[in-house]
Amino acid sequence: MLQVILIFQGNKMKITAIIIREYKQIVKKKSFIIATILTPALMAAFIFIPMLLTKVGRQEKVIKIADYSEIIKGDFLEISKNNKYIKEKLKLKFIADTKLLDEQSSLIKNYEKSIEDKSNKDFVLADNYKNEILDKKIDGLLLIPTDIAETRRIYFCAENISDFEMNRFLNSSIKNILSSRILKEKIEDPGIVEIVQKATAEIKPDLFIIKEEGATKSSSGTAYMMSIFMLTILFSVLMGYGQLIMRGVIEEKNNRIVEVLISSTNTQSLFYGKIIGIGLAGLTQVGIWMVMGWLLMGKFSLGIDKSILNFLTLELGIYFIIFFIIGYFMYSILFSIVGASVNTDQEAQQYAAPITYLLIIPFMIGIMVTQNPNTPLVVGTSLFPLFTPTLMFMRISVATPAFSQILLSIALSVGFTILLAWLGAKIFRIGILMYGKKPSVKEIIKWIKYK
Amino acid sequence: MDNTMLELCGLIKDFDGKRAVDDISITLKKGEILGLLGPNGAGKTTTIRMIMNIIAPDSGDIKILGEKFNEKLKDRIGYLPEERGLYRKMKVSETLQFFGRLKGMNSAFIKTRGEELLKKFDLFDYNDKKIEELSKGMAQKLQIITTIIHSPDLLILDEPFSGLDPINIELVKDLILEMKREGITIIFSTHLMDYAEKIVDSIVMVSKGKKVIDGNLNDVKSEYGKKFIKINYDGNGEFVSTLKYVKEFKDYGKEMEIELKDIKDKEKLLKDLVSKISINSFSLTEPSLNNIFIRNASGDSDLPGE
Repeated sequence: MLQVILIFQGNKMKITAIIIREYKQIVKKKSFIIATILTPALMAAFIFIPMLLTKVGRQEKVIKIADYSEIIKGDFLEISKNNKYIKEKLKLKFIADTKLLDEQSSLIKNYEKSIEDKSNKDFVLADNYKNEILDKKIDGLLLIPTDIAETRRIYFCAENISDFEMNRFLNSSIKNILSSRILKEKIEDPGIVEIVQKATAEIKPDLFIIKEEGATKSSSGTAYMMSIFMLTILFSVLMGYGQLIMRGVIEEKNNRIVEVLISSTNTQSLFYGKIIGIGLAGLTQVGIWMVMGWLLMGKFSLGIDKSILNFLTLELGIYFIIFFIIGYFMYSILFSIVGASVNTDQEAQQYAAPITYLLIIPFMIGIMVTQNPNTPLVVGTSLFPLFTPTLMFMRISVATPAFSQILLSIALSVGFTILLAWLGAKIFRIGILMYGKKPSVKEIIKWIKYK
Repeated sequence: MDNTMLELCGLIKDFDGKRAVDDISITLKKGEILGLLGPNGAGKTTTIRMIMNIIAPDSGDIKILGEKFNEKLKDRIGYLPEERGLYRKMKVSETLQFFGRLKGMNSAFIKTRGEELLKKFDLFDYNDKKIEELSKGMAQKLQIITTIIHSPDLLILDEPFSGLDPINIELVKDLILEMKREGITIIFSTHLMDYAEKIVDSIVMVSKGKKVIDGNLNDVKSEYGKKFIKINYDGNGEFVSTLKYVKEFKDYGKEMEIELKDIKDKEKLLKDLVSKISINSFSLTEPSLNNIFIRNASGDSDLPGE
């Protein structure tokens, strides 16, 4: 930073000219304007669409049930009467057509036999049922075999099997029905049945995030999703602007503008002017996003899940800006070194790949962060300067790390960035004027010594 | 006061063990135009890059305006690199503002001076156009304008004529002369001897990294004397090689440059020529730079660095 200040004082006008040029060049681009407007729109869609779908598109699913065991049906109907989930989302139909039932029954038996003798035949569904599903007359078919009590196996056939909520509901309902049946059969004392049922009843967790301001109700899903979401934004902005700088450097190198620039001002002014100019453009974009996001939230706050609102605090916004700036400097220096050292875009992609990995690794560690943000591995990696901007930010977003750790991570990464800038400016000076051939070690030493 | 604008002393530069520039020394006086001549790969661009401090010489000294290269000098030099380039998305006016500011000029002055130059170069109507909308020739002219916008004391042009059509070459030539009248000292490199010949005060010819000829243009030429005869003819001129009093000749098909061992034989030559071919013109000349160059340096190979 001191370097930058010194260059500013000595060369104020020239570096300003470069900063302004770089800033304007980015901000005037169509892609910049589109991304600036489109990203909040996508963000809004990301938040609102699932919400709208659950509210407006509350579609009842029609599930047909073939109960060969004949022990589930009665109890299931009993449960359905008072169940909120069934009332809102499911329509259950028990099949009575015996002919079809028999046909399917033998198909199931064939399948079960093939499992036993390990010939592994495919599961076959009677054509009528199959067509009903494919024609979207029903959303699913649940087959409960005769021997369910022993095998505890049920068959569920549908086009879409990823409705976890429904799967869980069907499984646990049948499980409960079966267990109470078995208990009632074997134990005569209804008091004991009740005790066992109580003992094995499922647990419903209510999740709270504890912060200094107090406890906020949340679901683990929201915190995880939101922190991955913020990490994605940070990642794409760092990558995007890093690559912009890299390509800009290669362009100047290829059309030799760089020779004119170097003969008019020093390399440091060029290097820092570029990074600062493009960085300001990035900050403008992120700033616009934040303001737009804030306005959108204000307008539609009633509709948004409270756990999301609780997540997006002003504090988090400030940390986002801090880590964006640090991360931006760090990665744009790396990208500009690559740009200065290569001659073509293809070469650049190749050499930039390791930098991309550095940005992707936090995503992998990210899962650990959400599970436990305070394990030594997570703390250690979040203090490692190259990962700090992403991982420390993620830790802050899911839990509140010790303030001393946040400060330490900022200090370490700022120190690292200054070191990187010093070295980067030197390498930039050598690389940017080398065409086609690699500089010799002797030459590099000569330039590093050069003042 | 010493009026040496540029002084190169024993410059040497190796690339991968190959000597690209070998002991080049050049002195350029204030107000002069110096042509750095030589074929491609002779070491011209490498020499210029060393002057501009873009690459460091392996040994030798460079002094510009009496000083070692430093930041302050940059505002007093105008440099046009060999390969041309401007920011394609920028407007003409923005381009001038940007490069002018890089040379430490204030924006009002850039505007006046820029418009004056644009008018001179017939580019004023394009002030609000983007660079990518300009033709190649226009973009080159604009780049030359950016090189001189700050009225430098020393102008360094690397191959200023390359890629231009004859009309624009004339324009650039006029401009170089105009700059000279304004008192600007100019060094430019070119492999086009014919164009250089018309505007330079002195020349430095390089071949394979070595300086082969150096000095005032007239001195160089008179050193070779008026032993040259230029003819324009129709017919087959091959027989000239059999004439014993001819030292050397260069046949271009319709024109021929003949060097005699003794200029007294010129009448004899004319007689022999008339008997074999139809002569349209016959004149006594100084050797062209091209001819001088070919006599001094043959078999140049491409070296890295250019």
